[in-house]
Amino acid sequence: MSIKRSKGWKFFSSIKLAIWLLASIATVSIIGTLILQNKSAAEYISRYGHSTYKVFSAMGFTHVYSAWWFILLLGLLSLNLTVCLLNRFSLKLRSLGTTIAHLSVLVIFAGALVGMFFGQKGFVKIYEGQSIGSFESHGKKVSLDFSVRLNDFIYEENISPDEKIVVSSEDGSVLEEVSVEIGTEAKIPHTENSIKVLRYVPDFILDVSTKKVVSRSSEPRNPAVEIELNTAGETKTLWVFARYPDIHNTVVGGVKIKYVWAYRRPKDFISNLTVIKDGKEVLKQDVRVNCPLKFGGYTFFQSSYDKTNLVWTGLQVVKDPGVPIVYLGFVLLVLGLGIRFYVNPMIK
Amino acid sequence: MNPLYLNVSFAACLLAAVFYAGSLFFKNKSFAFLARLSALAGVIGLPLYIGVRWHIAQRPPLSNMFESLVVFAWAILIAVIITDLKYKIKSVTLCGAFMAVIALGYASLLNKEIVPLLPALKSNWLTIHVLTCFVGYAAFTVSFVASIVYLVQVKFTAQANANVEKLDSLSYNMIAFGFLFLTLGIITGAVWANSAWGTYWSWDPKETWSLISWFVYAIYLHVRHTKGWRGAKAAWLSVLGYLSVLFTYFGVNYLLSGLHSYG
Repeated sequence: MSIKRSKGWKFFSSIKLAIWLLASIATVSIIGTLILQNKSAAEYISRYGHSTYKVFSAMGFTHVYSAWWFILLLGLLSLNLTVCLLNRFSLKLRSLGTTIAHLSVLVIFAGALVGMFFGQKGFVKIYEGQSIGSFESHGKKVSLDFSVRLNDFIYEENISPDEKIVVSSEDGSVLEEVSVEIGTEAKIPHTENSIKVLRYVPDFILDVSTKKVVSRSSEPRNPAVEIELNTAGETKTLWVFARYPDIHNTVVGGVKIKYVWAYRRPKDFISNLTVIKDGKEVLKQDVRVNCPLKFGGYTFFQSSYDKTNLVWTGLQVVKDPGVPIVYLGFVLLVLGLGIRFYVNPMIK
Repeated sequence: MNPLYLNVSFAACLLAAVFYAGSLFFKNKSFAFLARLSALAGVIGLPLYIGVRWHIAQRPPLSNMFESLVVFAWAILIAVIITDLKYKIKSVTLCGAFMAVIALGYASLLNKEIVPLLPALKSNWLTIHVLTCFVGYAAFTVSFVASIVYLVQVKFTAQANANVEKLDSLSYNMIAFGFLFLTLGIITGAVWANSAWGTYWSWDPKETWSLISWFVYAIYLHVRHTKGWRGAKAAWLSVLGYLSVLFTYFGVNYLLSGLHSYG
């Protein structure tokens, strides 16, 4: 009896099976979007309670997409697809698009498997001035034959047009509104005065030992700007506080100064990195979201940082030899669907 | 920014729906003409608004719910005009125009302020990803309204007419057309995610729901081609697919949390 006549072959060559598998995968996938995935036990317990967590955990609902039954469904779908491809698809021009489209799904799966078995993925935290030469991938230490140093982590913000320094006269009428962009200089109309923005700190604090102003964190808990006020040849520098408008809303040189703060959206997270190989600096690059560093087969992605203390950067380190295969699958999928649904109807 | 083009387009969209309704109930041919003219005004007006916004913002205006709804309405209007010219089914064009009105109506309730792009969105993939997604969504919208009209007609009209066949094939054709674009939308999203975060697929709710929609339409295409599903059964599947698309678009943002929190 040939294999094509066997019960197993018939079972796996059925479209009915494919439809049931697609429907099942779609249905169980929903679970993973409703229950948070891959969190700590403590987080589940606080969210759902202890007994619910135990049920979820046992069923695999806390890690749906890596649960054995999910992998089994994907495996069955791949087997189904393979048998169908071998069984019913011919090399006739007419079925070219269909064949390519179905083949492409297997190629994407193959790429994902290659990534799973031969890829490396990990997270590194580098402090400013320090460097790393290894990372942990799937619980194993991977040593790099080069090291990466963080020179500087820069967090840039967009200053909202609503954020400004308002200069008004003693009677309260607004004379000028000045942007808080550092270095901004402005003459104040109807007076002899001019103003210059020197510095911005999001979380003002006076260091008692050094008597210097520092920012306690990068969070806008106590935003303040330092300004220079020139009044008839006399120069004064002073701090104006958004949260405490009264401190300098008193008259200074005949004008009142108020700092109106507005939420600053993040503009960029930049890690200035240097790659060191054999004791030599071989590459210096700014890594930002959408602009990773590629070196020695590894790619470093901007991943996280500490908003309260901008002294380290979190980078995702990835080496995934499956990606070109997955991308080939993407191209084939688009090509196959294009032929099937756009070219075929035209040559009908 | 000046919302003139947006308001004019909204009005044009509304007029298109009104005139399509007129052409459905009255024999007078000028209704159909006026409806097409209004829809055309919307098709021209919306990209003008998008263009001006692009110019002011110095970036593609495709970064939040409001901006995407404007693009969605535009894509729906184009799909409606094409459907109108090709199929001439007044009830479908009316419902299609109405969907564009809903999209713009909802957009008008949202914050229209231009805000700077988040770092994750600063990428050339943004434009191609959003456009491919919404071309697909617009096609599915027309398929959905055709299916609804089909189901209503079959239920309330006794005699089978040729119109019903046309609705069924329109619904299928729109899915066959849109499926490639949904695929492109998912693929461009995956490639973008890989270049921004180093993973092309992380089972984020947005990704997962887009895949669920893809599966529903894949099932539709398979049962139609191999099991001969037509008519009501196919129409219900098209409705299910569209509900999944709507959940991918709105539900994921409002009800679930994930990486794709901008729109």
